[in-house]
Amino acid sequence: MRRVVGLLLGFFGVLVELPALGFSDRVVAWFARLERRRLLVFLGVDSAEPLERQARRFLAVRALVGLLGGVVVAWLFYGLYWAAVIAWRLGTGELDLSNAAELGWTALAGVVLLFVEVQGILGVVALERRVAHRFLGVSERELLRQRIEQLAASRAGVVEAVDAERRRIERDLHDGVQQRLVALGMLLGRARRNPAKADELLRQAHDESARVLEDLREVAWRVYPAALDSLGLGEALTAVADRSAVPVRIDVRLAGEVAAPVETAAYFVVCEAVTNAAKHSGASGVAVVVRRDEGVVWVRVEDDGRGGADPDGVGLAGLARRVAALDGRFAVESPVGGPTVVEAELPCG
Amino acid sequence: MRVILAEDSTLLREGLVRLLVEEGHDVVAAVGDGDALVHAVAAHQPDVVVTDVRMPPTNTDEGLHAALEIRRRWPAVGVLVLSQYVEKRYAVELLTGQSDGVGYLLKDRVVRVDEFLDALRRVGSGGAAFDPEVVRRLLSRTTRDVGTLTPRERDVLAAMAEGCTNATIAARLHVSQSAVEKHVYNVFEKLGLSGVDGYSRRVLAVLRYLGS
Repeated sequence: MRRVVGLLLGFFGVLVELPALGFSDRVVAWFARLERRRLLVFLGVDSAEPLERQARRFLAVRALVGLLGGVVVAWLFYGLYWAAVIAWRLGTGELDLSNAAELGWTALAGVVLLFVEVQGILGVVALERRVAHRFLGVSERELLRQRIEQLAASRAGVVEAVDAERRRIERDLHDGVQQRLVALGMLLGRARRNPAKADELLRQAHDESARVLEDLREVAWRVYPAALDSLGLGEALTAVADRSAVPVRIDVRLAGEVAAPVETAAYFVVCEAVTNAAKHSGASGVAVVVRRDEGVVWVRVEDDGRGGADPDGVGLAGLARRVAALDGRFAVESPVGGPTVVEAELPCG
Repeated sequence: MRVILAEDSTLLREGLVRLLVEEGHDVVAAVGDGDALVHAVAAHQPDVVVTDVRMPPTNTDEGLHAALEIRRRWPAVGVLVLSQYVEKRYAVELLTGQSDGVGYLLKDRVVRVDEFLDALRRVGSGGAAFDPEVVRRLLSRTTRDVGTLTPRERDVLAAMAEGCTNATIAARLHVSQSAVEKHVYNVFEKLGLSGVDGYSRRVLAVLRYLGS
């Protein structure tokens, strides 16, 4: 109902505003502000306060929408008028129920038209919103609302990413390090029970202890590469390339200081993408490019594998969350048949 | 004893096989997941099964499910479960139903080769073997009836829960065997098990503590 009133006012507004376009900027701006109030109060459209230079174009374009709104509302009243007439005729006996089929058809048509009408009203409201946001811009409050929504989503994402990461670390420790330690302990236990075989078993145990340490170093590296802090992103990524099973070409050019969280995120994007390429894509080579321009660090990892990577998989989804938490942009393109391209843009002030 | 092993880490599985063979056991099958374990038991009817809890495909608790199924279908086969962590629910599920020929050890315990082999022997010959850590956690979480037992009686009950005989308990607590028998009698009395016939009162006492 409120919307119908809003559209009706919008229609009559056009009749006043179109002639007003011929007047000075101040008058036009005053009408534009009136329009904004109407949109906010009746249609719930929250747009920015109109500036004088925006007002004239806004009112001109809006006039078309206003006329359309008028037509839609007029159509509604026309329908209501006929419904009332038919009801009145039924009441006075002018129409009776003898031609029920015809009455039924009329009622059905009325319901369909009512539905179309409701859709029409919603459509005009949406149009008003788009015109207002396009020509006046979104209000500060609306911007804040959108920002809060975005922050809440990325914050929840961060928590999820942390949990996924912990699960991974637990698995790394459990499947690698702990199994090796138990095996090592068993070798020593057997050596104590079997003095005859003790030398051989101790030798095996000694080798095993070296492998445990190797595993532990690997796990610690995956948790956080210490080189990132001491030697920077370039060195840390070189280490990723050294460890990778497929050849990786690293091309990092970062002028000046980059904030640590940005570096870390860039590192993990490359690390995960390279791991995925080596594990799943059957690629024979991976190219990594990291650049800085105009306030963003730009990361691109491309392999020559068979594609088909799932952006919602644990690893890639985790990366998307990590990047979102820094207000960055993250994209995975991986058509079946390849190649896979992972890109991230991280704002760095 | 004829043993079947289920452990998904190849490294550990091989180590266990070598250990058991060295000790004169006959390892009739060594598998890497729960389904394979159940099939192997159906085919070989071993004396005892040693299984890890966490195995593929889901890496959660398929080892335990296989263990429960084996206990249901072949009650004569002893089941020794090795677990990464102490989970009260696992222990209680294992003990529900019949309660002999069952064990639950922390995986790390395998490192103490003597104790592990001892536990395996007990489970294989129809006894029970529960990890001291498992028992400690279970007892500390169960408050019901605990107040009525003296500290010494609790020690005795804890040892019983691990599957120890009276002689072993006596040696461990440095008391005479008749003193242990007295404590055991008091435990049965306080838990209302004195008049129960036809069941292992030791196991019932433990079960009562587990709150199952």
